[in-house]
Order: sequence, then structure tokens, then C-alpha cells
Amino acid sequence: MGAPDPVIPVALPSKAKLLVATLVASAAAAVILVTAVLPVEYGLDPVGTGKVFGLLREPAQDQALTVPQGGDASMAAVRQGAVTLYPRTYKVDTVELVLEPYEYVEYKYHLIADAGMIFSWSANTPLVHEFHGDPDENPHDVRSYDKSTKSNASGSFIAPVTGIHGWFWENPSGERVTIKLTSAGFYTHAVEFRSDKTQRRHELADVPTPAGP
Amino acid sequence: MSELFAFIFAIALGLTAPAAAHEEFRVVGEITQSKSALIEVKMRDGKTAAVHIDGQTKITRDKAGADAEELKAGQFVVIDAYGDDFTDLLALEIRLVPPIAPAK
Repeated sequence: MGAPDPVIPVALPSKAKLLVATLVASAAAAVILVTAVLPVEYGLDPVGTGKVFGLLREPAQDQALTVPQGGDASMAAVRQGAVTLYPRTYKVDTVELVLEPYEYVEYKYHLIADAGMIFSWSANTPLVHEFHGDPDENPHDVRSYDKSTKSNASGSFIAPVTGIHGWFWENPSGERVTIKLTSAGFYTHAVEFRSDKTQRRHELADVPTPAGP
Repeated sequence: MSELFAFIFAIALGLTAPAAAHEEFRVVGEITQSKSALIEVKMRDGKTAAVHIDGQTKITRDKAGADAEELKAGQFVVIDAYGDDFTDLLALEIRLVPPIAPAK
């Protein structure tokens, strides 16, 4: 058993040194804030470092999940008694989504308030499921319309608020699952969010206008 | 003077806090290493996730509570975790599940 290591006394830093260290740390934090945090988190680029180092958020990423107001305005509905009229044809969508074991996916349509759609979906096994909506105004104010475990559903839907409305499906099993969804409605596009963090925007086709006589 | 520093520090902290905001991740795969409060999981795409465990982490098997000792190499798990990327996550819930067939 050897002798214990000698304790070497260390002098405490003076107040002046502490002040200098604090100032340096504050200055460094301010530089990081201005050159990196503001461009990345807030899209502000006061000294141009965001552009130089590619730190600014890509506009395309944000646009992928939002819709130009003009596109939505063209979907605005006019109610006439029992009939609701839209200034353009509706869109249709048929999609097949594959869920590997224990994966989840969200598939949602962008609808303005009062716009409608009809839908049918089915899966080859019961899924954890929630039909819900995220308002454009406050995406965290999630509206739940139907939450249960089921393998299929069909229905109609009128959007209570402008936003993205659709389904969360989770595969609770160790087997691959396929979901088939068909819908028609006065939506603009769909967005898909997956548990592996990938996101995809789906552009949807207008239903063909019937030919005149 | 000290009030000024405190003010600047508070502003800087407030502005930088969102940079530390975490996202939720789902990790599905097989444990390849388990050491104290850290497990490594080989996911179905072949990549490896590093997941920390703390006292708040819920561990279950068939919806019933399970012990952290069951987190051994070879065990398949489904993990919901918070973090910035798959290399540095903190597990909220770990489900012990039967072996999953490899991705085709």
C-alpha cells in the first residue's frame, strides 16, 4: 500500500479574475447567440453568419407543411341552405401506407374551416388509431375526433378549423401492416409524418371536370 | 452593473433555451450493449441508437412493469425517447417485445 498522493493547495481566483471570466463567458455566449442561435432558431441573421454557414432554415421545409393562403382561399365554401358550394372541383386521394413492426405514421389533409371530405380506410390488423386535427393558428392545440383501436373506418368530416386533419396509426404488432386509404374532399394537399422522423408532402389530383354535352 | 449582467444572462438564456428543445423519437430494434444506464440498440435499418435510462424511464413487458435488469443484449425493444438525434436519447418508455424479423 503506497503513501497517499500529496494534496497540492490551489489558490482561489480573485474577484477580478472571476469578473473577467464572467465577462469572457458572457461575450462568448453573446457571439454564439448572434452568430448561430438566432439564425437557426429564429431565422434572424444580423451578422450574415446564417447565410454563410447555411444555418438559416430552408424556406422549402416550412412551406412543405403550410399552404399559401391563395390556394386555400380558392377552396372557400358558400352555404346555400342544404347545399355547400365550392368554387372548384374536389380532390381525390388513394394511398397505401406500410407500417413496419411498432412503427407509426400520421397522414393528414389540409382543409380550411368548414371544408368537407369523405374517407374510407382499412388495415390488415387492428391499429392504435386517432383521427385528429392540428389548427394552423396553434398546431399544439390538437383536436381529437376519434381515438380507438380499430382496423377500418369510413366517414365524412367537416373541418372545424383551418388546419391539417387526419390519422395517427400505430402498428402495435411485430408484423408488417398495410393501410389503404381512399378519400375525396375539398382539401389542398396531404402531409405524411413517420416515426423515423421523415416527412413528405403529397400533392393531390383534382377530380376531372365532367365534359360538357 | 451586476443587475445588467443578470439581465443580459437572462435574455441570452431565454433565447438559447429553445436550442436545447428535444424531439420525440421511436427506436425499434435489438439491444446490442447494455451498460449501467446506457443501452445501444441496433435498429431495423442497421443503424445504432444510444439510449440513456434514468429513474423516470418506464420499462414494461406486455403492459406490466419490468426490471431494468431485463435490458440485456439480444432483447428486442420499442423505445419512446427524447433527444436531438438517435445517438443521444433519453428513454421515456421501453417496451420489451418478442423478437422481430429482420427487415426485408
